[in-house]
Amino acid sequence: MKPPAFRYVRAASSDEAVDHLVRAGADAALLAGGQSLMPMLNLRLSAPDMLVDINAAEDLQSAELLDDGTLRVGAGVVHSAVEDGLIPDATNGLLAHVAAGIGYRAIRNRGTVGGSLAHADPSGEWPLIMSAVGAAVTIKSPTGSRRLPVRELFVGYYTTVLAENELIVDVRVPPMRPTNRWSYRKFARKVGEFAQSICVAILDVHEGEITGADVWLGAAADVPLRLTTVEAALVGRPVESASDDIRDAVIEDLPESSGVGAGSAEERYLQHLRAVTVCRTLDQELSRR
Amino acid sequence: MSGQDVTITLTVNDEEVTLPVEARTSLADLLRDHLGLTGTRLGCEHGVCGACTVLMDGVAARSCIQLAATCDGRHITTVEGLEGDPIADRLRDEFRNHHGLQCGFCTAGMIVSSTDLLRRKPAPSETACRTELAGNLCRCTGYVGIVRAVMAAAEAHRSATTPG
Repeated sequence: MKPPAFRYVRAASSDEAVDHLVRAGADAALLAGGQSLMPMLNLRLSAPDMLVDINAAEDLQSAELLDDGTLRVGAGVVHSAVEDGLIPDATNGLLAHVAAGIGYRAIRNRGTVGGSLAHADPSGEWPLIMSAVGAAVTIKSPTGSRRLPVRELFVGYYTTVLAENELIVDVRVPPMRPTNRWSYRKFARKVGEFAQSICVAILDVHEGEITGADVWLGAAADVPLRLTTVEAALVGRPVESASDDIRDAVIEDLPESSGVGAGSAEERYLQHLRAVTVCRTLDQELSRR
Repeated sequence: MSGQDVTITLTVNDEEVTLPVEARTSLADLLRDHLGLTGTRLGCEHGVCGACTVLMDGVAARSCIQLAATCDGRHITTVEGLEGDPIADRLRDEFRNHHGLQCGFCTAGMIVSSTDLLRRKPAPSETACRTELAGNLCRCTGYVGIVRAVMAAAEAHRSATTPG
């Protein structure tokens, strides 16, 4: 339960961190809050040769609203800062509401938004939410910076498109419109555990009618899933009837069971749970601006 | 094989200490093995049981997944350092009054987490109390006495600190 030995360096900025990553080569890991990395090291699921500590990188710590209303959140901002409303709100309270359900307070005091995205746990909150709201990450590499939609960041379990010498420096969240409503539901057997099922719906509502829908489901596949059949079924409906007869569309969007667990009692339970979670998400009174 | 050593200076329970540690040493192991502060426990060493909870720069943190090397310049308060803290003292009384412990292994973490909770939320509902302490596992009590103790301590602390 102790990690294997590694070298350790501290980076005073994101640029310095990139330099360390370049010099260290393939076997370096970035250390931000460490709430995912350190358990992996303690359990010896991972054995990087070097840890690059970015806690002192001040350029990763801030959060502000840009002129167009976009919320820029530094990758090093911790979940509890979002929970406590210490960063500006561009999502009508969605981010703070979601943050409050991540793990436990002690975890939230250290775990970071950027770290969660880089870790790419398909049951995680930020991969799902940042996909649904159409956020984009700024990625720094030795050759400069690039912006990437979060929807294109995840390619598999715990796998992003980030190269080994890149780091996420911030995530940019577009402002919700006055006509937007959101609904979010996380199911876990015990408070704070990773979700067994997790769903978010962001609707655009004009005069009581749904004119646009983003419905995403986590913990159902290796990456967050967009429920496109459900979205198409919702457009044109009155918002109070969002969940009426929606189950068939949900079932169609759920990934097919395959592999060793297919047909097992647990898999049937999870498929049922996913359908219930989506239906209840749409059933919940959607937050009004 | 031992790895690289890092020299750190940190404040633990209001006392500044400077010492070299192997880079992979956790804050928990620093506190327990290097500084003899064995109140902080190790249960799971991956952040889920809460027995290792300390206050780091004033807020709850898991010392088992915090590298000591990252604590340079930080202020750490362990359960030992909460002696004399009005909320923690009240919690200790109520844990005794309401049978909030049996073997006591989880208790240090419970006291630290509850102190952090009551500092942030002086009047938690029972549901809020249970939700906030979900990250501190107890194998003995079934949590009944613990929740009663925290609720009672919250009430007692509010009465003691309400003017008039």
